[in-house]
This record gives sequence, C-alpha cells and structure tokens, in this order.
Amino acid sequence: MSDHQKNNNINELGTTLLHIALLLMASGASSERVRNTVDRISNAFGYTTYMLISQRTLLLSVYNDAGECIFNSLKRTSAHGINFKMVSGISRMSWLVVEEKWTIEKIKEDIARLCALPHYPRMVVLLLTALAGSSFCRLAGGSALDMAMVFAGTMAGLFIRQEAAKKRFNPYMCVYFAALTSSLIVGSLVKLDHQVNHEFAFATSVLFLIPGVPLINAFSDMIDGNLQNGIIRGLNGFIISFAIALGLLTSMAIYRF
Amino acid sequence: MEWLQLSEKCIWFGCAAVGFAVLFNVPVRTLFPIFIMGALGGLTKVALVHLEVNVIIASLAGSTLIGFLGIPFAHNKHAPPPVFCIPAVIPMVPGIFAYRMMLGLIKIAGDIDKATSVQILSETIHNGLKVMFILMTLAAGVGLPMLITRKDSAKDIRFRKTGKFIDDSME
Repeated sequence: MSDHQKNNNINELGTTLLHIALLLMASGASSERVRNTVDRISNAFGYTTYMLISQRTLLLSVYNDAGECIFNSLKRTSAHGINFKMVSGISRMSWLVVEEKWTIEKIKEDIARLCALPHYPRMVVLLLTALAGSSFCRLAGGSALDMAMVFAGTMAGLFIRQEAAKKRFNPYMCVYFAALTSSLIVGSLVKLDHQVNHEFAFATSVLFLIPGVPLINAFSDMIDGNLQNGIIRGLNGFIISFAIALGLLTSMAIYRF
Repeated sequence: MEWLQLSEKCIWFGCAAVGFAVLFNVPVRTLFPIFIMGALGGLTKVALVHLEVNVIIASLAGSTLIGFLGIPFAHNKHAPPPVFCIPAVIPMVPGIFAYRMMLGLIKIAGDIDKATSVQILSETIHNGLKVMFILMTLAAGVGLPMLITRKDSAKDIRFRKTGKFIDDSME
C-alpha cells in the first residue's frame, strides 16, 4: 500500500471512530461504553485510541504500534436525544467488526443504515408513554378516573414537548412546557372535584419527564471513575427535575391550590 | 387477595417500562424482555414493601434483579444490558416522594410559620433523602452484575447452570 493511500485510510478510520463516539454520546450511552466501543473497533484495525470525553465535545487521538500519533481530531456532538436503537446497533456492529474483520467502508455503510432507521410512529410513542403515565398513577394508588386524566395529560404534555423541540426551544424549556401542560390538564380534575383526594394524579402527571437516563448514566459514570462526566450528567438531570418542578409550581399558582 | 393486588401492580410496572422503552426508541425485539424485567423487578419491590422491608432495600432488590436479568436477555437479543435495564427500572422511581419533597421545599422557602416549621423541615429532609437513596440504589442495582463480575462488557459474562460466572478466557 502506498503512503498516500495509507494516510487516507487512517484519516478515514479516525473520522469514523470519532463519528461513532459522537453518535453514542448523543444517544445516551455512558462514557465507559463510548470508550470501550471505540477501543474495540480501533484495536481490530491494530491502532490504539485515546479519548477525552466531555458532555458535548470529544477529542480523539489514534496512535500506531510505534507510539506515534497519526490522527487527532476534536468535534462537538449534536444535541442529545436518547436513541437506544443506535446504542444497541453500534454495540452489535463493534463486535461484528472484530469477529468478521469489517472494512472501514462497511462500517460507514452500517452507520448510515443505523442513522436511517425509523423511530417508532409518533402516535405509538404518544399512546404508550401515556399508558406509562397512567400506570405510574395506578402504582401510586390512583383511581380509574385519575388514570384517565393522567393518560390525557401525559399525551398532551409529550405532544407539546415534541412540538417545542421542533421549534428549537431550549431543551429545559421544552420540559417546562410539557410539565406545565400535563399538570394544568390533570390539575383541572383536582380543582373541580374537591370530594376526593387527587394528589396522586397531580404528582404522577409529570413523571414521564423524569430524567432517568442522565441520572443512571451519572451514577455509572461516577462508579467507573469518570467523575467529571458523572457530575455533569447528574447536574443535567437535576436541572431537568428543576424544570419539571417549575412547571408543576406554575400550574399550582394558576389554580391557587 | 392482597397478593392478587400485588400481581396486578406487576402489569402496571411492565406497561410503564414499555412506555419508557418506546420513548427511548429501543429495538422492537427488546420490548417484550423489558416488559418482563419491569414486571418482575416491580413485583420484587412491592412484595418486599408488603413484607414491611424498607422501601430503599426493596428498590435495591428489585433493581438488582433487573440488572441480573439483563445479562441473559442481552445475550439472547443481541443488545447491550443498559438498553433493557434503564427502561425497566424507571417505573420504580419514587415520584410521590419527590413531589412531596418539592412541596416541602416550597413551603420552607415561602412564608414560614414557626409552629410547624420544624415538622415541615424534618418531613422534607426525610422525603428528599428517600428520593436520593432510592435513585442511587436503582442505578447501583443495574450496575451490580458488571461490578461483581469485573468485566468491561456483558458479552464476556456467561451464566452457567452451576450458578457461577465463568470467564471466557478460561474455557
């Protein structure tokens, strides 16, 4: 192989590795998973890769056997949006790269395929999330009426969140709008029906917004020793919780509970 | 009769887990295992709470079960364990405690009545600490299989009939 071709290959490999890391980071993988996956793929090509991982930027250097740095690049991730199809697809691919000695072209093709994979239809997401919301209500001890209201509230809240995200609002604002919408809808029940205690419905109406992935990833990052990543993810989860609480508060102020 | 109610909760835990799974866009082949894991983990938790075990310990037991169930499912369905475990533990998040903590914090921050302030303060701290510890136990339970087997990847963990974890490199 000529030197020129080799250089091209290394550049291509480095760019692809960085792209994989960025996709994983944005899809909700923990830092250790990002590092392991990239290590696995680069080892299959006979290179060593070191990375600096932060919440929104990744720095990646590739070293050859002689210990020379042959590729170095820094890139910013796209906005984070949890997508476990991507995490699972890349994990599966990384093992196939090792076992079946894939070429860079094949990896690129697979990434393009994974990026093009469809999400669940919007209506399915809305309905099942609403079902999850009313399940929460039932688990907390709500009645059938509470569950129906939470179902409606969750559906409207998630719809508003998706629309706000499309309009490119700040992500925390999206959460605030969603929490406000669903608590306003469920709050009307609390306001109109004084006889029964509907506290459970009101409290569980916003639970579909809980930042489960940031908080669990925060903990696993800290356990793995990626303290900075863990603290930042935890802080992100904390701000989301704060936005939810703010939404609840606003509707409590509107209804004067 | 009580146990019937507990098993009804099982279904709701499963439904909540599947709802979050769809929200997180998991592969379709993992939806059913997530339902099972959510339901069994939730059942463990409510059964232990029913037997008057502390809710924190009960959550740890439930999430640990989910963490261990995630390994065979991960092998079987070819997806990493977090894809199964994260949606499955989310129904155990203590929403009501968090809500009460928030109400308490607002009361403390607002105009405070000297007569009830100590009670509100202690209730808020109580609820807040419960929320914090339950969240930590959920995350810890999910991570436990990896910590115990000291592996970087679930691919290296084999669960044998002997009940022991066997290293691939030893075979």
